[in-house]
Amino acid sequence: MKVEGTHDVHARRERVFRAMTDPAVLQRCIPGCEQLELTGENTYATTLRAGVGSIKGVFKGTVRLEDVRAPEHYRMVVEGKGQPGFVKGSGDLDLAESDGVTTISYSGDVTAGGTLASVGQRMLQGSVKMMATQFFTAIEAESRVEEHEPPPKHGFFRTTLRWFSGLLRRVFKNK
Amino acid sequence: MIPAQFDYVAPRTLDEAVRLLAERPDDAKILAGGHSLLPAMKLRLAQPSLLVDLRRIGDLSYITPENGHIRIGAMTTHYEIESSPLLAERCPLLPETASHIGDVQVRNKGTLGGSLAHADPAADWPATILALGAEMVVTGLGGERTIAAEDFFVDLMTTALEPNEILREIRIPVPAAGTGSAYVKVRQPASGFAVVGVAACVSGGETRVGVTGIASKAFRAKAVEAALAGGASAADAAARVDDGVDVNGDLYASADFRRHLARVYTRRALEAAAARR
Repeated sequence: MKVEGTHDVHARRERVFRAMTDPAVLQRCIPGCEQLELTGENTYATTLRAGVGSIKGVFKGTVRLEDVRAPEHYRMVVEGKGQPGFVKGSGDLDLAESDGVTTISYSGDVTAGGTLASVGQRMLQGSVKMMATQFFTAIEAESRVEEHEPPPKHGFFRTTLRWFSGLLRRVFKNK
Repeated sequence: MIPAQFDYVAPRTLDEAVRLLAERPDDAKILAGGHSLLPAMKLRLAQPSLLVDLRRIGDLSYITPENGHIRIGAMTTHYEIESSPLLAERCPLLPETASHIGDVQVRNKGTLGGSLAHADPAADWPATILALGAEMVVTGLGGERTIAAEDFFVDLMTTALEPNEILREIRIPVPAAGTGSAYVKVRQPASGFAVVGVAACVSGGETRVGVTGIASKAFRAKAVEAALAGGASAADAAARVDDGVDVNGDLYASADFRRHLARVYTRRALEAAAARR
């Protein structure tokens, strides 16, 4: 299944890129990420407690960053396996900056198998979009504070609130 | 097909149910019919540690007219709505929608409140609730509040309900005399869910359209409503149903096909509703 989209972050590209390649930040921003541990160059072992509504599952797997070209591009490869099934995905992330706003463009492919895919197929695309939005909204919040400041808090309601205020900002900017 | 272990309680009052939920906010689930939750539990896609069954709370199943509104208890089953003479006369869109849900077993056990709180992106009720401009009455630790249908559906299987809140009642404004309504649906043959479902309420002054099945949540088709208010024909207005909507696809129906179906079925819903005025 193809996944693509863009997300605007009100911060400098270098800052956004550093946030998006910092394991501590990634752990806070990837929805449900409980653990992210460096196991090799740009390779991390991870435990994800991912879910939508009442559907929840624990996935263990790896996150790998490839083709890293600071501050404009990297490729993220994620593999996870758990009781509900398996998920594999890879995607290219490109960052472009204009007027202090960094646009992250992402384009990737996700496949899923097992119970999750056989009964949850119709909701797969929606789930992936929802998690991508949560991820980029959290990255935006991280990028807007300086590195020496304490990191912002995340959570579903905070993330939704930030997404909503971003939406309002975009709507009113267009008018 | 055997669920993971869980605790089960069936409180007698809503306050007690709220208190039980608050004790395990991340892990307790409300049982309100169970026709979505129990299959997910049997597949172990959902593994709540506590089920709070609402069926022993006596006063959650009713259909009561009051001051221009109809109040429907959250535990009212789809069948009770489908077969209500009061609703057939005062708000026929509700029984019509109920008749499209799942199969006889689902309609006998599944509830309006359960379906809405679950917020399946292809469920039938959300489209109709949006078209009727209903309000959700919810009870939590902090007391009671009402949420407009439009603010209730937040994202995929995600509502504006806080973890310790319970949807108690759905309040429907009775459509004015001379209002025509219709719910039309493309049914997924295996699941019975809506590939596309469109509910329309057409009255002299205003038209409201609710759409389910094509995006991560049901939504009001404001672009269609605005086009109609501006004098567009049903066909022209219906072509705008996916304006600004992020349409999802799956193996059964691609996003493009769903977009096409949504336009065709929106036109049909508008025409059917107008013909019933």
